[in-house]
Amino acid sequence: MYPAMQGIMAIVGAVSVCLTYYFVSNWLLDNVFLPAKGAHISRNINRANMIRPWLFLAPALLVLCVYLAYPVIETLRLSFMQRQGAEFVWVGLDNYQQMMTEDKFWEALTNNVLWLIIVPAGATAMGLIAAQLTDRIYWGNLAKSLIFMPMAISFVGASIIWKLVYDTRPIDQEQIGLLNALYLFFGGDAPQTWVTMPFWNNLFLMVVLIWIQTGFAMVILSAALRSIPEETIEAAILDGANPWVVFFKIKVPQIKGTILVVWTTITITVLKVFDIVYAMTNGQWNTQILANYMFNKLFSANDWGVGSASAMVIMLLVTPILIWNVYNARQEQL
Amino acid sequence: MKPFIYAGVTAAVMSASAVHAGTVSVFGPWLGPDQENVEAVLDGFAKATGHDYSYVGSDSFEQQVRIDAAAGSAANVSVFPQPGLAADLASAGQLTPLASGTADWVRENYAAGQSWVDLGTFSGPSGADELYGFFYKVDLKSLVWYNPENFDDAGYEVPNSMEELKALSDQIVADGGTPWCIGLGSGGATGWPATDWVEDLMLRTQSPAVYDQWVSNDIKFNDPRVVAAIEEFGAFARNDDYVAGGANAVATTDFRDSPKGMFSSPAQCYMHRQASFIPAFFPEGTVVGEDADFFYFPAYASKNLGNPVLGAGTVWGITNDSPEAHALMTYLQSTEANEIWMARKGFLTPHKGVDTSKFSDPTLRKMNDILLNATTFRFDASDLMPGGVGAGSFWTGMVDYSGGKPAKDVADGIQASWDSLK
Amino acid sequence: MDNIAGSKSSLRWAVHLSVAFLVVLWLIPTVGLLVSSFRTTDQISTGGWWRALMTAEHNLILRTAPPSTQTQINGKYVVTGSLAKSGTDLDIRVWGVSSRAIDDYTPGATAKLSKGGEITVSKDGHYRMEHTLPFTGKRGTRIFLSSALPPEFTLDNYHKVLFDPKNVEGMGQAFLTTMIVTIPATIIPILIAAFAAYALAWMQFPGRALLVAFIVGLLVVPLQLALIPLLKLHLNIGIGKGFIGVWLAHTAFGMPLAIYLLRNYMVGLPKDIIENARIDGATDFQIFMKLIVPLSFPALAAFSIFQFLWTWNDLLVAKVFLIDSSGQTVVMTAKLVEMLGTRGGNWEILATSAFVSIVVPLLVFFSLQKYLVRGLLAGSVK
Repeated sequence: MYPAMQGIMAIVGAVSVCLTYYFVSNWLLDNVFLPAKGAHISRNINRANMIRPWLFLAPALLVLCVYLAYPVIETLRLSFMQRQGAEFVWVGLDNYQQMMTEDKFWEALTNNVLWLIIVPAGATAMGLIAAQLTDRIYWGNLAKSLIFMPMAISFVGASIIWKLVYDTRPIDQEQIGLLNALYLFFGGDAPQTWVTMPFWNNLFLMVVLIWIQTGFAMVILSAALRSIPEETIEAAILDGANPWVVFFKIKVPQIKGTILVVWTTITITVLKVFDIVYAMTNGQWNTQILANYMFNKLFSANDWGVGSASAMVIMLLVTPILIWNVYNARQEQL
Repeated sequence: MKPFIYAGVTAAVMSASAVHAGTVSVFGPWLGPDQENVEAVLDGFAKATGHDYSYVGSDSFEQQVRIDAAAGSAANVSVFPQPGLAADLASAGQLTPLASGTADWVRENYAAGQSWVDLGTFSGPSGADELYGFFYKVDLKSLVWYNPENFDDAGYEVPNSMEELKALSDQIVADGGTPWCIGLGSGGATGWPATDWVEDLMLRTQSPAVYDQWVSNDIKFNDPRVVAAIEEFGAFARNDDYVAGGANAVATTDFRDSPKGMFSSPAQCYMHRQASFIPAFFPEGTVVGEDADFFYFPAYASKNLGNPVLGAGTVWGITNDSPEAHALMTYLQSTEANEIWMARKGFLTPHKGVDTSKFSDPTLRKMNDILLNATTFRFDASDLMPGGVGAGSFWTGMVDYSGGKPAKDVADGIQASWDSLK
Repeated sequence: MDNIAGSKSSLRWAVHLSVAFLVVLWLIPTVGLLVSSFRTTDQISTGGWWRALMTAEHNLILRTAPPSTQTQINGKYVVTGSLAKSGTDLDIRVWGVSSRAIDDYTPGATAKLSKGGEITVSKDGHYRMEHTLPFTGKRGTRIFLSSALPPEFTLDNYHKVLFDPKNVEGMGQAFLTTMIVTIPATIIPILIAAFAAYALAWMQFPGRALLVAFIVGLLVVPLQLALIPLLKLHLNIGIGKGFIGVWLAHTAFGMPLAIYLLRNYMVGLPKDIIENARIDGATDFQIFMKLIVPLSFPALAAFSIFQFLWTWNDLLVAKVFLIDSSGQTVVMTAKLVEMLGTRGGNWEILATSAFVSIVVPLLVFFSLQKYLVRGLLAGSVK
């Protein structure tokens, strides 16, 4: 197992490099540069306390700036440039203009909007139902963990799982895809190729993500449901409200805030999702989405300008959530 | 302790990502049976030169090679299925010109040597033309594969003209069978088998001159003549009665799986149009010449265009310069390198010096006859078009077309993407 | 809660049934793949996984012995033998001699051959072929038959995918690569984020509120934006593609969530303990190591599970920052995507490979679910 040994050494090494930084930098600060002794003891302590937060923060900030903040600016810059030979030259809004003329872009944008509406709505709704139902039975926790399970499965793994469900065989053969088997059992005339069915194939892909995300919504909403004060519910029941009314008129309004958090979190996931479309259709048959459109532009068409421009469109779509999140975070701190 | 561990890590990481001296890394599009074939050739290289090799195949070769080349982490040698893609890389300065004298060698030793030199010559980052690509392994594309015993059972004859081929297809439908197996699936390259159909039909409906102008975009992609060729393909692939699984299954079926339908019981189809490499994907134990055979994808008797033949080849280029990479290129020029793969499946070569008795089966010689009888030989158009079209919008466009989008709209879209590359 | 809403027992049953339905709906796709990974190629092509326990029927094309084995008996040329390969049984239901009519005859019946002569095939595959003229040709006659295929489960797929050195598409190497990517990419961000979160939660310094807002903002930045600039950066500083690059990238992409989760948790820790420690003269470093880390264990555990699942399951980051032409650094997700193309029809291999990649996250998930849920709640519910 020689490669395994290499791996283990790499792991131990990488981790110890990190740990060493914190130990050594703190030790240096306290003992070498600003020791808490001698003539300037109080000045030294104060200065050390000014510097220490930044020692703690430095690696994190460095990584964040280089890997997340800088790319946003660099991508913006690249989206105004085009490669000519080995050089990049400024082309202004050309990339955006070209992108606007492409059918595939508009297809990707429309589909993305559909994903943004249907997946968060579907997953949140299913999660809410699952949360409400499982909270009321003795084997609810088992049920919850089974519904939560797809969360652990990779998008690629999930794509394979669902590809088997959507599998199509010619009509004279036994179907091995569950969906076609059911379709024929309930009177369908011929097996359908689900992933090429115009418009509906988008929904079949979205089902995969809803399947994965429902568990997440369920877990959080179930905690929120449990935190509702019992008195309000008991009062409603004494007034003769039936379970439906209690659920929709009393419970749901009280967890509105949590529903919003779940919704936005899933929305962010949807914008980032790439693997499902890449693995199942590669954007064919009108299932293109922006993330995959961008990947194709970058690495199939080798068009970094338009690729960057489409990345900026994704950024534009998340900006409202970004602003809303930051606004909330500021509110909390004040 | 810590410095020691750190040194160990560096060593581990280096050896995991970099390549040892005396090793050549090869990156290509071949997986599965073809991977075993190419590795047999590379074994021969290792034995002959003492260098080590590593081969990696990928279905998304076209995407991965761009990422790697841009990242400077490309393999020493990359095997391009399309010269167009190699030309893109050459112009970005990501290919190394082949050793001087290679062009002369190709001219001398390859049949129609000058044309192979021309196909492998691209303009570099400074605009100067140099030989960057070496052709090794050539495919003949204008072939229709069939199961002779099933033809016998049904009493079908091999057609000699496109008219007869269409009549045969209709006959099979009338007899309750399905004439064609067509599959366009190929991972990140999904759609390419359809481009071969269109090119073959282009050569059968238009003159070679028109074909050449189409390749250079002097004739637009949405020209009525091109649209007509696409619709000719549609006459086969978009006809539910003609294709196994119905027209909808065409784009979702993997091209490697699609020929298997000819050998199943009951037979799902009778014919499969695909290049000379496809026997590598026939079910295990299939003997070419007995269980499977092929005929020339015929031309129209009514059109006076002779017998055009479509071909292609893989271009080997140096994406990361090293002495071993040049050694491999030299080895590929040897008869031995050609004969190793000839003794296996799905290999043709323009090398004039090889011993043709080394072919694994006599059908390969029959293919050679098709080449010789050709009145026109043309290289795969999509492979010559710019990467963004030939390995991009042409593929995706054909998938859209097989899904029901009108040919004209598809052609307009492809032309637009071509315009945007200029 | 029982007394609140559903006092009627019919409603209670409806709830039980709906939950059962939901659970089955959520489990079935995965179960289908799991069952498929234990079936043989023949089994899979003859019927859906839900029929795995039933006897199926498959169609075969077999050949009689070649004409060279014929003998002359009573003036007739005869070829006899068994269609069943040694060691296998046939249970023929119908058979035929032409690809146009594969089910014309029942066992024991006699069929006329198109080239002359006739053949009889029995239920177990024994046949007798005879003709007044000699049989010609090199190969035996094709016999089409439908034979029963009893249920069969096998571990061969797993053996092939994990341990067969001749299988170039095996998952063994990829499994290891995924481990090497995942473990440091899980531990490093926790370390870095914990220090940063402590600073943001309990240390006083100018600009703290701005920094928190900055990190919250970065939470939603799509990582697609980072691909091109970072790939260029990695090249320029000489990291290229490899493990170091992918560890750094995963560390960075997990960082905003890590800091956000951990800070939210640490802020909620009791203030007195930390103030008391300060008064006792403990430095921030000591407080962090001795108090904060142990107390924040649930949040640390929650985030590490998240990050582990995310890096284990990632495709895009590995594709761009790690996988190069050396072939030694292919992660399992990338391998699976390749197989979807090359092995698109071989569900037994595809299903097995997928399961090999899924099983570790599932184990982690089920054994540490408690922490995952706690972490989720700490981050999202105020």
